[in-house]
Amino acid sequence: MSTQIISNNPTVKEEFQNVVFVEGGFLDVLIKVRDLVYTGHELINHPLGASIRIMFSPYRSIMVGDKTTSNNQYFMETIENSIINYKKHMEVRLVDNDNNEDYRYIDKDLLMSAIREHEMIKNLN
Amino acid sequence: MKLELRKIHIKDLAMGNEMSVKNGTLTIDKEAIIEVLKDDVNVKDVKIDIAKPGDKTRIIPVKDVIEPRVKIEGEGNGFPGVSTAVTQAGSGKVNILDGAAVVTIGDIVGFQEGVVDMWGEGAKWTPFSKTYNIVIDISVIDGLDPHTHEATVRMAGLKAAELIGQAGKDVEPDEVKTYEMGSIFEEAEKYPNLPKVAYVEMLISQGLLHDGYIYGVNSQLILPTLLHPNEELDGAVISGNCVAACDKITTYQHQNNSSILDLYEMHGKEINFLGVILTPELTTLAGKFRTCDYTAKLCKSLGAEGVIVSEEGYGNPDSDLLMICKRLEESGIKTVLITDECSGRDGMSQPLADTTKEAIAVISTGNVSHVVKLDKADKVLGNQAAIATLAGGWEGSIDENGVLSCELNAVIGATSEIGYHNLTVELY
Repeated sequence: MSTQIISNNPTVKEEFQNVVFVEGGFLDVLIKVRDLVYTGHELINHPLGASIRIMFSPYRSIMVGDKTTSNNQYFMETIENSIINYKKHMEVRLVDNDNNEDYRYIDKDLLMSAIREHEMIKNLN
Repeated sequence: MKLELRKIHIKDLAMGNEMSVKNGTLTIDKEAIIEVLKDDVNVKDVKIDIAKPGDKTRIIPVKDVIEPRVKIEGEGNGFPGVSTAVTQAGSGKVNILDGAAVVTIGDIVGFQEGVVDMWGEGAKWTPFSKTYNIVIDISVIDGLDPHTHEATVRMAGLKAAELIGQAGKDVEPDEVKTYEMGSIFEEAEKYPNLPKVAYVEMLISQGLLHDGYIYGVNSQLILPTLLHPNEELDGAVISGNCVAACDKITTYQHQNNSSILDLYEMHGKEINFLGVILTPELTTLAGKFRTCDYTAKLCKSLGAEGVIVSEEGYGNPDSDLLMICKRLEESGIKTVLITDECSGRDGMSQPLADTTKEAIAVISTGNVSHVVKLDKADKVLGNQAAIATLAGGWEGSIDENGVLSCELNAVIGATSEIGYHNLTVELY
């Protein structure tokens, strides 16, 4: 099973393999992931963070898996809901560009948690 | 398990040359605390201040809040598996400096928020404006990686709370409450006609600044697990989370988990309280599915007829919350959710990032997007620059008089999803 990391985080681009680098913001990453999910790719980690503060982040990294023959309704709903929620929140807020280095680090750390979780679950299957 | 929580009411706080409690005044020996905390080679500097209710003081960015306590009878002390040796928590007698709190500050990353105002409008929204706070600012040595930095600050707070807690060792408490519960079979035999209710407490378990610990074990690494409620009340669960200021569960809130205390209050009268299931909020969807299945299985195995589920955070944890709700309701278990809302400044938007039709009994602990105005402080404990992070939320959020408009998001414990906060629900 192969995975791809969809990311606009330069640190992730530098340090990981299988990165589809997105030139753009958090929303552009979500849209790229949506396009892949609609062509049948598995959505591996949840597109949103665990707090509003992470929505201020300029960076986001999301993993998608292999292309399957059928579209998965749950994955499609999850990415669509995430885009709606992201837009709703950022309509009235500003992306925090003053702490880019820290956001790059945290985004990479959260991605590493997702990779570890994914590896553990994959090994059980 | 039988746990006696013995509260010594703290009514004032002072610096001095000893650690003591006399007539409700807690005196702390600042130098003694600094000496112990500096034992850690990663700690470069420690600054200690006090902040009392009503002081025109702002504390920012808050990492954690911890209640100082000492175990006077029974196994272990403090936070087993973290700051002290591993022991079984949940039994014995604990003296509590009720009304005092250790508040740790220290910016691990530049975008930490987490404000506690001790006066004015800001004070209305956080429960920690009413506590006598010992504020500990920890700087670490240069070049420390962020994970070790976070662990260093976390450990320093816990150690300080243990040390300060010793001041109450020989003091007679003002109030004593006993929490006792036998095995689920014993309790079911005692209360055969009462509905069996379990409490599922969700913990953010996703990486740096997004973690919780159970007996020192990072909750990222666990399957949902069953605890006797006394274990959490006795220091088995601590916070390593310092984003999501309004709805992160601080260590203090774990020690005084309102949902557990309320369920205990009802135990044997209206319900048979079965225990606490701690459930990690993971990052992957497969992880969430597994957690959901496992949580529902534990509830079913316990014979729960009703389950209360509380969340931590907002965003992807909403999916866990609603998945668990759906699965439990489909299994015939009545489910009540406790969560906060992210429903926009006017309160009119969809409150959660996900929905399910089974979520029909939901308690809201407040709207995190509600805007509050915070006056300029006379004294700031912590990092002035963190105020800019709060002010940077949107254009014009700080006016010419220094009055800051911020969302409740940034205020520690403002919309606690376990109910340990200042807001209440009105039915109309």
